[in-house]
Amino acid sequence: MAKDKITTSSTAEYFSKNLQQVGFSSATKAVLTTLKEAVDNSLDACEDAGILPELNIEIEKKGNGTLKNTDLIRIKVEDNGPGLDLDDVPKVFGEYLASSKFGRGRCSRGQQGIGISAATTWAQLTSARGAQVTTKTKRMRNAVSMVVNVDIRHNKGLVKNKESLSKWDRQHGLSVEFLIDGRVQLNGEGGLLTYLQGTTLVNPHLTLTYKLPDQEKVVIKRVEQNCPQVPDATMPHPHTMKLGEFIHHSHLFGPIALKSWLKKGFTRVSDNIIEQMVKHGLKKEYLAKPVNKLHQSEMKEIFAAVQKTELMAPTTRSVMTIGEAPLALSIRRMGEIDFFSVVTRKPKICDSKPVAIEVAIARFLDRQGPRDEEDSAPVTVLRFANRVPLQFDKSACAVVRAIETVNWRSYGISQRTNNLPLGPYVFAVSVVSPFIKFKNASKETIDASDELVEEIRRALMQAGQRLSRHIRREKKADDLERKKEHIEQFGPILVSALCRIVKAPAKRKKQATDGLVKLLGRELNQAKEQLVQAEVEVKKVVAQREKRLGKGKGKKDEDAEAEA
Amino acid sequence: MAGTQTDIPKMSKTLCNRLLTDLENARRPVLEAIKCSLDNANYSGKLGYLTPGDKRVRTELNVSSVQKMSRAIFLLEILLRNLETGAVNTKRELYYISKGEVKHNPELAPLDFTDQSESDSIVDFICEMLVCYREDLNCFANDRGGQTYSDYLVVTEKLPSGGSATVDLGSLGTTPFQPKNRPQSLKLRAKKKIDFCLVVESEGTANTFVANGFCKRHKSILVGAQGVPSNAVRGWVKLIQDQLRIPIYFFGDLDAYTMQNIYRTLKAGSAGSLIRNSDFSAPDVRFLGVLPEDIKKYDLADYAVRETDLQEARALKKAKDALANDPFFKDPRNKKVSQILKWLLKNKRRCEQQAYFMVDPRDPAKPEKIIVEKIKKKNYV
Repeated sequence: MAKDKITTSSTAEYFSKNLQQVGFSSATKAVLTTLKEAVDNSLDACEDAGILPELNIEIEKKGNGTLKNTDLIRIKVEDNGPGLDLDDVPKVFGEYLASSKFGRGRCSRGQQGIGISAATTWAQLTSARGAQVTTKTKRMRNAVSMVVNVDIRHNKGLVKNKESLSKWDRQHGLSVEFLIDGRVQLNGEGGLLTYLQGTTLVNPHLTLTYKLPDQEKVVIKRVEQNCPQVPDATMPHPHTMKLGEFIHHSHLFGPIALKSWLKKGFTRVSDNIIEQMVKHGLKKEYLAKPVNKLHQSEMKEIFAAVQKTELMAPTTRSVMTIGEAPLALSIRRMGEIDFFSVVTRKPKICDSKPVAIEVAIARFLDRQGPRDEEDSAPVTVLRFANRVPLQFDKSACAVVRAIETVNWRSYGISQRTNNLPLGPYVFAVSVVSPFIKFKNASKETIDASDELVEEIRRALMQAGQRLSRHIRREKKADDLERKKEHIEQFGPILVSALCRIVKAPAKRKKQATDGLVKLLGRELNQAKEQLVQAEVEVKKVVAQREKRLGKGKGKKDEDAEAEA
Repeated sequence: MAGTQTDIPKMSKTLCNRLLTDLENARRPVLEAIKCSLDNANYSGKLGYLTPGDKRVRTELNVSSVQKMSRAIFLLEILLRNLETGAVNTKRELYYISKGEVKHNPELAPLDFTDQSESDSIVDFICEMLVCYREDLNCFANDRGGQTYSDYLVVTEKLPSGGSATVDLGSLGTTPFQPKNRPQSLKLRAKKKIDFCLVVESEGTANTFVANGFCKRHKSILVGAQGVPSNAVRGWVKLIQDQLRIPIYFFGDLDAYTMQNIYRTLKAGSAGSLIRNSDFSAPDVRFLGVLPEDIKKYDLADYAVRETDLQEARALKKAKDALANDPFFKDPRNKKVSQILKWLLKNKRRCEQQAYFMVDPRDPAKPEKIIVEKIKKKNYV
């Protein structure tokens, strides 16, 4: 017998000891994760209430951190959302796994109710102060400010220093402030600016104001005036369940007949399908029995018959997309664009789960390095899962895997086989699904299943095809320039050398020079014609896109039209 | 060969005149050269070396090829000047001469070579166009390999000045004779009847044999190939074959690289030099070893080919391709050589020539004894 007594720990105890699992593995990640969790919550709350979100973000250094090589960082996120009822504040900020969305099958950013409580824990562990929360709902007369700590032993939120604020600059909303140990990284894959740019891109309806350390205040206005409707969850599909889940699902419906339960509790089950189930071994006498009276062995038989019956794939109605038009407008908020293409795929079923892929590829004028050359840097990849930027562990992610396996050379973009393409492009890929399979609890990498990778590849290829017209036109223009240069440079040298070797008189030299110009001039004219043709194609693509999306042109598109 | 040193200037002028006339008439001038690659290589057992087929590389003047054509004419002018003055250069020197021309005449700047490989390929293109040897254009590579030892060989060299020089290799002691890149100007004579010539892949092992008295004990010529045989080595061995008419044996490693790149090049020339194989290959050379059966017979240490090693993996792949496409290995007369290559592919083993030194580690002359025994018993392919 073991001498040590077996004890149980609370969820909060577990997470407080394993914060690295939920995005707090380094000082820089701690700042980014805290910001991300607060922004996710604000955006979800606004969308649920049908409010167009306006977020104010402030991040500043307040001194040295308590941990080695860290700063004390203040992170404040303020929104115009519906606000939280006072009873809910300690649950949201101080209790793990307290969520209104867990397992509901909606495409919301937050799911489990872990992230923001982990941020409070990190603040508590490093600065001895939890989250400073100010909230006001429409019904409340005054805003209320308080500090929420996590009672780690009991996984409960503890409220301290509660006070009513007679003056607050908004009718409703929520403000949360953390003081944490961390380090600010602005640029690069894990940078705050990269995160904010990504968030801006996939939330065209967001007005964002932010002030980062040593940076000017930035205001980015919304380009979409409608608040996205997050579709309601649909009933589960019986083929996506395990036996235990199937039995547990039956407990939610009370004394209802099995037949009614199958029809009401699941998607894709009709009278016809139930007849098919009977053919596959479902005993007819079970159908009228109340589902809560069925024995476990009977449920096992029913489950087996359901699994044997062929059903339609789950519905894709629960999936939302940003849409090509808002995405086209939103991408222009990231900088001055040379040219771009956007693709929104229709929702598909991958691994028995509905999923929608959206892709935006753009070349920015302010990011121009060596263009399409073998020695240029790989493209910038922005990954999104349910409209949340993913910034770490990209190599194993389904998005990166899909980008690497597309042959970008056929669209005119340089690439070493099975590597990221090269050049000053931004590839933004958004995966939206009520059931995204992440590889870890910190939700940084999407599991690369074959079906999902293939669906992302298709979206990328579509975007690549649209982009290739622009690149082709550019290559034709380069080609024409190169040919002109060649004729001017090499023609006279060739003729002179030939004349010297054969000791030809000046008359022959002049005649040969004229002949050479005539010869190569023909090719030059051909190159010009090809360029004109390529430009016509680009104009067609731009016109088609405008028809589809409205205005949303890149600089090159405008130039092309001006030339026309 | 179409071009010799005397008619190259004339051929070049005719070529340039044709190009100029085409330009005057606004016709596209075309440069044609023999295609020097395996897909244009023929092998006839009678001749014993790889010869060019009918394929030609056509470079028609257009915007893309105008640079190559201009560079070819630019280098041709330098080479013709060399022929006129009798100046001789290596490829590297030619690269720098062309850079010097560009430096002193900024109008030529677009022709500037950024790397020697660029000027080398233009020199090769000129040779293929005029169907002549690089040496005929007074362009010589480094005299690498071919160090030769013999007590019975006398070499007479016809000098460019018109005179001649005679070297008795027997009087050189352990100092080797180094054949030049134009062995055609050498005349060979045997003081006494020479029994055989042994070409050793490793220069170091050839030195060891001489130091141990190989040439004293055997009426022979010993040549160190120093890896892949240079033009000098290939032409030199061909000269020994044609002028002395003695058996020639090659002693090297048992691996795919040696069989394809060293032995095949020595015996039948290479696909890259199709126009010169007639003077730069010695079809009578026999492969003495290491043979696959020697491993068992002499209990030699062999080892597995590391397929993870990029170079070795490439040699194996090349061997597979050679068996399928190389006319030398496909010819029934070279069946035994192909069988060795197949054995190497199947067993993925290799054995080095120096492994003979393990047979009797206390007898420094043991490898020599094995070689002589193999020659006597005709144990070669």
